[in-house]
Amino acid sequence: MDATTLPAQTVINGVSFNSTPGQRPVKVDGTQTIVSLFKKRCAELGDRTAHREKDFGIWKTYSWADYWTRAKWIGLALRKLGLQRGEVVSILSEDRKEWAYADLGIQCVGGIASGVYTTDSASQLAYLINDSDSRFLIVENEEQLDKYLQIEAQVPGLLNVIILEDEGLHDLDHARCMLIDDLYKIGQQAEKDEPTVFEAEIEKAQPQDIGLLIYTSGTTGMPKGAMLSQENVMAGIEAGAHRLPVEETDEQLCFLPLCHILERNVSIYFPLACKATVNFAESPETVFANLQEVSPATFVAVPRVWEKIYSQVLILTQDATPAGRAAFGMALKVGFERAEYLLNNKPVPAGVAAKFWLWDRLVLRNLRRMLGMDNMRRGGSGAAPISPELLKWYWAIGVPLLEGWGMTETSGLGSINTFEENKIGTIGKPVPGYEIRIADDGEIQTKGLNNFKGYWRNNEKTAETFTDDGWLRTGDIGEIDADGYLKITGRLKDIIITAGGKNITPAEIESRLKFSHYVSDAVIIGDRRKYLTSLIMIDQENVEKYAQDRKVPFSNFASLCAAQEIKDLIAEEVNAVNKEFARVEQIKDFRLIDVLLTAEDEELTATMKLKRSYVEKAHAHLIDDMY
Amino acid sequence: MSEPILKIRNIESFYGPIMAIRGVSLDVHEGRVVSILGANGAGKTTLMKTISGVMDPEKGTITFDGNDIQGSEPHKVVQQGIVHVPEGREVFPLLTIDENLSLGAYTSSDKGQIEHDRELVFNYFPILKERRNQEAGTLSGGQQQMLAIGRGLMANPRIMLLDEPSLGLSPLLVQEIFTILKRLNEEQNMTMMLVEQNASAALNLAHDGYVMEVGRIVMDGTAEQLMASEDIQNFYLGVQEEGERENRRWKRKKTWR
Repeated sequence: MDATTLPAQTVINGVSFNSTPGQRPVKVDGTQTIVSLFKKRCAELGDRTAHREKDFGIWKTYSWADYWTRAKWIGLALRKLGLQRGEVVSILSEDRKEWAYADLGIQCVGGIASGVYTTDSASQLAYLINDSDSRFLIVENEEQLDKYLQIEAQVPGLLNVIILEDEGLHDLDHARCMLIDDLYKIGQQAEKDEPTVFEAEIEKAQPQDIGLLIYTSGTTGMPKGAMLSQENVMAGIEAGAHRLPVEETDEQLCFLPLCHILERNVSIYFPLACKATVNFAESPETVFANLQEVSPATFVAVPRVWEKIYSQVLILTQDATPAGRAAFGMALKVGFERAEYLLNNKPVPAGVAAKFWLWDRLVLRNLRRMLGMDNMRRGGSGAAPISPELLKWYWAIGVPLLEGWGMTETSGLGSINTFEENKIGTIGKPVPGYEIRIADDGEIQTKGLNNFKGYWRNNEKTAETFTDDGWLRTGDIGEIDADGYLKITGRLKDIIITAGGKNITPAEIESRLKFSHYVSDAVIIGDRRKYLTSLIMIDQENVEKYAQDRKVPFSNFASLCAAQEIKDLIAEEVNAVNKEFARVEQIKDFRLIDVLLTAEDEELTATMKLKRSYVEKAHAHLIDDMY
Repeated sequence: MSEPILKIRNIESFYGPIMAIRGVSLDVHEGRVVSILGANGAGKTTLMKTISGVMDPEKGTITFDGNDIQGSEPHKVVQQGIVHVPEGREVFPLLTIDENLSLGAYTSSDKGQIEHDRELVFNYFPILKERRNQEAGTLSGGQQQMLAIGRGLMANPRIMLLDEPSLGLSPLLVQEIFTILKRLNEEQNMTMMLVEQNASAALNLAHDGYVMEVGRIVMDGTAEQLMASEDIQNFYLGVQEEGERENRRWKRKKTWR
């Protein structure tokens, strides 16, 4: 391409971007597709560390060169086995380096990568394979393989299944299944036979090609596959670079599911641009220990994780010595004082700064080291609303935490707070180059290169998602304040119309409830009913601690939920929330969900949010009981 | 049901800074056999030690027959009628069986009662009578376990805490000892709290059960309910789930429902 027609470039942390974001062609270091950026990076960085993974208790490093060769072998082998450009490969695995290898390998040869949650059932897997018309399935281990074996007959379109871990599978003999090492061998042979074909395939990629398919959690109806193009992701990378700058020496921790656009962006695509090192957590259960070991420079998590860390600190301080408790209290007080200035974008007075310096040295610094946040320049929270009090608390202990918003259909990033422009309780300003407007019915609508291409083989749903003038209907309701900050108040389709004819957005009430440390999630009920009620899922750890401290006897989770003292505790929380709302919006009654739900349950999304429709169905008896 | 004879409420016990029991509440009713299941390190033995007074709880109450006994000295607890048959038997190896049994009756001074109890023990464990003058250290593992239970019976207890009576015994001996325990419960109306790794033996004997994991109770119910639970079947009774392949090695996650 003629260099003179290039848009003017700006350099951010050593990577060049278009000076005016949101314009075609989207360029990152001169490249226009994810795959060509990937090729450029691997060639430049070679032996530098791209990934770290823990193997038998030791963190091992894997270079950009490894990234390149493995992705190449996977891509070439799949091509050899029959993958055509524009066909889908599904990946069913926890986060690990092979996830990234496969994602890039598939896209480099023109395939489309589609992630499947490891918590999905066999029948959900069958649906996803058939809906996406996947040609190949990559499974992590024997547990995930068994899901495929259960539904083998229902997915005739699948050519091969590739298994990442051979443990327990040495004697597996199945015509369609192969181990990853065998795939690598096919890839190696293909490379020998046609040494330049991989690069040629990368050259073929166009910005408008679909690179990934992300199935939306589908709180109503079956999941739909959102198609994201190479350009969509590049626009996301561009927006991320402007709003979430990462340095090339940064360490990151990858632990949220890579099927989700948030972690996919942060841990696979953004590092292609910013060159940061990604550390894969061993498992979802070990995140806190891994956080300590890695001590990342930036850390993006969902509110539930931030909440858990906070609760742990709270429990620790309650069990500390009186002197330790007092010191922590003093430090926190000074921390809050300082945070108040920082959050209002005012300079911190010298006196406060000096006091903070002292308490930071004495207490807070140690706390951050213990949590693995001593190197943290910036924390991020997204995918669900976070309590303003919790945000402030993190600022007070010296961890700057920013809230952002995005969805699959906006390629992950829509708006976000930054250090310069931060307003707690809002989700910040639209990312550069992205337009956001509020429609007459209050819906947030967006326009820009981040907007996805549509739903996979579902023109009807795609048409519903875009307005006539080409704006994306996000389905969220919100407002933009005088300073340009966006605030979300609810979901359009969740609007409850009570028997009295009053429109209510339950999300607002639900997030207020969730801000309580004792409430993990809540669903407001009341559509076509006389008054509002709620089903509440308690936070097991905090409520158990509460019960234990107050000598409330309980044996298991159900008996904990049945204890009168616990019902009273939640009633108090509900009453506190009720005070903030008008009478018709108040919760008249509630029930606790007395089964401990896990991500495998249909009532929860993979990010542990309650799914309204499933919850209403599964706990209908509790709801009927309230009316 | 009547008031439980042993009532445990929100017990927390520590080994130094390590919290071994993180808030346990449970009930034992008179005449019932209650089994505590759990993996190594779940806190089962600690719970027993806390009841018998060998350890003091940091928090919580233990009520036996209406009296609070948490933190009492072990010998006071024995006098109340709680006997602890420890894990690994702990018989006195150089004393004879008779002497071991007499030590079990240390808290009692009623000679007639002691002799009556000794006959009762010999009635249930005839082998002990046969070898009454032999040193306890020369007994087999199963016989030592019998002696440990017999020694416990000598205190004429109202409740017996049995910590892993099946430990290190052959399947046949396990069966024998559990048959005797069942008879003791049925004929003497002996209340028992039983900690076991051998879940199938324990649930066959017990009326009620609790499952402990990392210091907490995660599930409770009657023995029939527990045996019907998929989690118990998979993780404690060794039932293999139907899989797509033979040699399946992974297990699904526990849900405790």
